[in-house]
Parts: sequence; structure tokens; C-alpha cells
Amino acid sequence: MSNQEQDTVLEARGLSKSFSIVGAADLKVLNEVNLTLKESSSLSIRGDSGCGKTTLLNVIARLEPADKGTLFWGDRKIDAVSKPLATEASWRAKHIGVVYQSYYLIPELTVLENVLMSVRLSGLPITEYELRARELLEQMGVGNKSMQIPSKLSGGERQRVAIARALVNRPQVILADEPTGNLDERTGAEVMNLLLSSCTKEKTSLILVTHNPSFAQATDKTTSLKDGTLIYE
Amino acid sequence: MKSAWPLFLAWKQLFPSQRKVSFFSLLAIVGVALGVNVMIVVVAFMQGFQQKFRSDIIDAQGHARAVPLQRQLEWREDSQKIASQPEVEKVSAYMQGHLLLQNRDYHAVPFSMGIDPGQSDGVLPLNQFLKKGFIPVQGYDSKDVTPIPTTDSLEDDVVFITQQVANRLGVRAATVLLLDDQNFSINKGRLVVERLDPYVESDEWTIEFLSGDQYNLRNSLGSIDLNGSLEQIASDLGWGYPKFKLVEGITPLSKGDRFRFQTFRSSILEIYSPTMIEQAKSDEMAPPREVRVGGIFEVPWQGFHTDALIGTSRFMADMRGEENACDGFFIKFKTDYLHDENKLGELCARLEGYLEGNWRIIPWFVENAWFFDLLKFEEYLMVLIMIPIGLVAAFAIAIALMTTVLRKTREIGLLVAMGGTRFAVGMIFCMQGFIIGSLGALLGCGLALTFIRYRDVLMSFIVTRIAGEDGQAGVTQFYDFYSLEVPYPWESEQSMMTFLTFIVFAVGVSTIAGLLPAWRAARMNPAEALRSE
Repeated sequence: MSNQEQDTVLEARGLSKSFSIVGAADLKVLNEVNLTLKESSSLSIRGDSGCGKTTLLNVIARLEPADKGTLFWGDRKIDAVSKPLATEASWRAKHIGVVYQSYYLIPELTVLENVLMSVRLSGLPITEYELRARELLEQMGVGNKSMQIPSKLSGGERQRVAIARALVNRPQVILADEPTGNLDERTGAEVMNLLLSSCTKEKTSLILVTHNPSFAQATDKTTSLKDGTLIYE
Repeated sequence: MKSAWPLFLAWKQLFPSQRKVSFFSLLAIVGVALGVNVMIVVVAFMQGFQQKFRSDIIDAQGHARAVPLQRQLEWREDSQKIASQPEVEKVSAYMQGHLLLQNRDYHAVPFSMGIDPGQSDGVLPLNQFLKKGFIPVQGYDSKDVTPIPTTDSLEDDVVFITQQVANRLGVRAATVLLLDDQNFSINKGRLVVERLDPYVESDEWTIEFLSGDQYNLRNSLGSIDLNGSLEQIASDLGWGYPKFKLVEGITPLSKGDRFRFQTFRSSILEIYSPTMIEQAKSDEMAPPREVRVGGIFEVPWQGFHTDALIGTSRFMADMRGEENACDGFFIKFKTDYLHDENKLGELCARLEGYLEGNWRIIPWFVENAWFFDLLKFEEYLMVLIMIPIGLVAAFAIAIALMTTVLRKTREIGLLVAMGGTRFAVGMIFCMQGFIIGSLGALLGCGLALTFIRYRDVLMSFIVTRIAGEDGQAGVTQFYDFYSLEVPYPWESEQSMMTFLTFIVFAVGVSTIAGLLPAWRAARMNPAEALRSE
């Protein structure tokens, strides 16, 4: 393996995915998509609504199978067509962080408990990661909200907590699906800056799905998904 | 602790951070607790009733009854043989049959039993039965001060009858009322009637304090008019007269203080035996036997004959016209055999062998097997009826958890995206059922223990509200819950088993109730769950 290959944390080869629609032809959302993500790098994906950006992230995260293609999670080769396995869930918990547009914080838990959920799911010791969780919350500017419940936070604060949750157990890759979609422009910019700077600081690779061209420009590589094909810009 | 996160999340969904308890959790836990409480309390009370009936039966007929397989002329030797066994505490012979009782135009044919009053108290607590059957006369300006009759007054021409027989025939035992007592100082000493035998005639008795230690005792018939010291006049005048006794008070009696008593003689019954009736059919003279009612008794065991008469063995022998007859023995064993039915059964079988097969020894639980089978059946039926209560709680839990699954669809998707397996996600809901069941069962046990602890107060409250003060006496006549012994789980293995059974039932059913929502959550497609609105 070359040095270049060693740096690859995620690679997708020939991913295809289509959805059946009753009374109509199948909707092909991914068509032979190839994607490579290097260590500590970032990549943005833009595209129209419904073009398949979220589906691509789901297939990469192995939340749903592809119709065709292969995935490489580091050295691990995965048949993207196969049904997701329980062992993959375990790997995902340790190596992939997720950030969604709707935050998806668990309303019954405090902010700190929400952040530590990633640690619990990874099977890592809570006591060792609690300090890191608090530090991340401080970095995100919500350190003083750690004992609050999510319903007491603003949208921007919730997304900061979601980013802290994605980063806490030091994943190799963060998949961020329109993380600023529900935020106003100013808050969105702040959150995006935090996400990018944190990924850089934590040496975590990032795949960012966004509609915002300026956020996309801030990543190392920018792509757009059109007619199921990923076009590098 | 990778496997612990579903438990953590299950707990947090039931008891969220920054809140004491969720409304759903509270309702679900209380629902299970009430179900468990009701089931335990009902079964514990049923077992308490069974225990009480056991002791009532043993009181009413001893631990076993020996019945001759054919007429036994040497029954006294056999009685001694039984009594000589180290396990045997007391043996009482009895005769039985049916007699026709008549008072004016009223008739009754009670189950009649002849016993030796000297021996009976060891096996049958007849004095207790007489105490239980005693009903004082209620008077406006008088007070019933009749001493409760005892077996001391059971003679060959005296019988004891049950309340039902007494009511049917309109008869009662000798009675004495204290008259003009309402204005008398409670601090003064008073005269009480110590004994009132069945031969006392209807009369009015006056005892008047004269002075010093002098009293006057007189009756309205004029047969008694005595002056003298208290010791002299209060002394026993003999059979047929009431025996008075002074109870000292704080304030001494003053001149002119007097006590008036009205005595009523006991009713006289005419009794015919089947032999007499046969004689009458043959135009032979068969005058009835006249006996006095010495007391009214009540046997706590409801299975005992409600129409019953108890007289002496000689009385029964006379009525039957048989000499040296014995229809069986009541046997009481030592306390070791009180609770172990197997041991008692073996002992009875051994005694049968010892008596060379001439007697059949029937232990109490065999003789009353029908009754306990019925009680057991009732217990099972109650449990069967109550199981749906638990199932209703389980359905409520299942529906609530299913709603939670639907409400948390996107969270379920997120948990899978964050690395949770579908099985673990399903476990969150299964564990919620388990937690609800466990906490509900614990709370239910606590409630049941409280109910058992304060059962008298609670039952009295409930029965009084339903049946009223007067009705309570009627209820307790059949279900004397005040004397129920309902053991705590640490006191009895049976009680412990009841508690454990319903704990396991509640936890099991609640956990199973969580399975359907868990399965629903586990089979959810995470990508679709995340897309859901």
C-alpha cells in the first residue's frame, strides 16, 4: 500500500441505489458513485433536494444497503449490497460520528448525558470520557448548559451539542447531513465554523452535505450530486 | 459496559433527567402495583380463611374422629388404648343421633350428641362455644347480667342447643336482669350474679344494704328473706338459687342502696327419641323426656351442624335405650401434629393398626376434604378472575410503549446510526416493561404488606361502609376477619411463595408486554426512521 492509500479512511466504489415507485419506473438516486476520503480531510456534497445526498450518507454509514458497489472503512472491505450486520454497528459506533439537520437529541437526557450517549454506544468507559465531553461542550460554547435538558436550548445550541456528541469518542469520520439546515444564517455560520474547526483540531474527516455554497467552499473538496453521479468541482 | 446502555436509556425514558417521574411511568407502575396488591391480598386472605377454618374445625371436632366399624362393647378399653399413645393428648367418647324437640307447637330435629362433660373440654372447647353463643337480653331499664353458662351445669336433664334451634323453638336458657341500675354510681361496689343454674325459677331478688356489714336478701316469692353479713347472704344458697357476689367499688355502699334482680327460668323442652316414636306408633305410652335448656352455643366452624343439641352421654343412652353404647371418639393430638397433615395421616393409620382394624380413624382434613377442596377451588377461581387484571395492566403497558416507539421513531433511527444494534434498541422497550413490572411488583408487595398489617382497620372500615355497624356483626359471623391469621412472607413459606409467584407474574407479564414494542423498534429500518416526520 502506498502512503496515499494508507491515509484513506473511507472509500466508496461504484455505489448504485434506486428506489421502487409504485406505478412508475425505479428512481435511480445513486449511479456508480465513487468517493474517497482521506484522513483529516473534508468533503462537501451539494445537490438539489431529493437528489440522493442523504441516501449516499446512509449507504456509506451502512444504514441501508446499496444495489451495487463496495465500501472500504479503512482497511475493511464491505459489500455495500449486503444487509447491514451487527458487527458493523459496533464499528460504526467507534469510527463514525453523525450530525443531522434536526439534531435528534434525546429529550429525556441532559446535554452531558446526550453527548456521552456516543461513548455508551461505543462501549467506552464513561468516567474517562466525561471530562472530554465537558471540554467539547465548552469548546462549543454550551459548557454552562451541560445539566440542562435539550428542550431548554435554542436550535443553535442543540446543534452544537449534536456536534459534541459526534466528536466525543474521536471518530475517524463525521457524516454531517445539512447540519445548518434548521438554523438562521448567522447561527448556521457559527455552527459550521465550529464543526470545521473541531474536525481540523480533532483530525477527524468530514463529509458535509449542504445546500450552502459558502459552507461547501470551506471544505477541502467540493462535489455535487446530479442525476445520481458525484461530480468533483 | 456496552450492554448497559439500553438499560440506561430505558430507565431514563421512564424517569427522565430533571424530572422526578414521567406520568406514563407513574400510571404504569401504579397499575401493576394495584394488580399485584389485589392478587396477593386476595390469595393471602383466602389462605388466612383456610387457616382459620382449620383451627375452627380442630376446635369443633378435634384432630381426628374414631368411628367403630361395628358395634364396640369394649370401647372403654379402646379409648384408653388411644389415650395411652404418646402422641395423643385427649380422647372423648360421644354418642350421636337425631332427637325430636318440642316446645308448645314448635318442633326441631337437631343433630344430637351425648358427651361426657368431664372429658369434653379437652377436645371440644364447649365453654368457648357457650360463650360465643351467648346473646344478652337488651332492656331499657335493666341490664342482662346472666353469667355465661359452663359445662358445670350440664347434667342428665340439661341440654345445650345451638342458636338456630333455640330460635326455632322459641326457648332460652335461664336469664337474670339487673333492674334499676341506670342511676347507680359507677364508683360504688355492686353485686353480680356468679352462677345461674338451669333450675333457677323466675323470681325477683332484692339485696339491700342496711348498715355496717348488714344486708337483706329477699325474693318476691317470699321463700327467702335473710338478714346478715355479706358473707352469709352472698354465700351459695344451693342449686336452684342464683349465687351472688359482691364486687368492691371505690365508694362504699350507703344505707338503703339496693340491688334488684329479675330471674327467668330456663325453658323446658320435651324430647322424643326415634325409639319413643316407634313405641307411640305401637300405642305404647311414651311420655316425652323433659329437659332444661342449660345454655345456647355456637360453633365457629360453619360446617358443623347448625341445628345441634349437646347433652350428657347418659342422656343420649337413655334416649336411645341403649346401654354401653359409643358412636366414636373425638381425638386431640399434641401440637406437633397441628400443621403437618402427612404426619397426622400417618399417625391415624398407625392408630388404626394399633386398634386391630376395629376403628376407622379419620383425620380432620379428610373428613372436611370437600370443604377445603371448595376453598382451594375458590382460591384458584379468584386467581383466574384476577389474572386478567394483570393482563389489562400489561396491555396498557404494551400500548403505551408502542406509542412511545412510534413517537421516538427518529431517535430509534439515530441510535442505530450512532452504532446501536437493532436488538439493543429493541431491548430499551423490553427493559422498560421489565422496570415497570419490577417497580410495580415491589410497590404492590409494599401495599399488600401494609394491607395485611392494617387489615382489621381497613376491613372494618370497608365492611362498616358497606354493611353498616350492625351488618358488620353479621359479616363477621361468617367471615371473622378480625381473628384471621394472615402471615407475612417471612413468617410462612406459603405466604413467601404467594408473594414470589405474583412478583414473577407481574415482572414476566410486563416484560412480555414490552416485547411487541421492542420487536417493532428492532425491525425498524434506520434510514426510513431518520426520514420519518
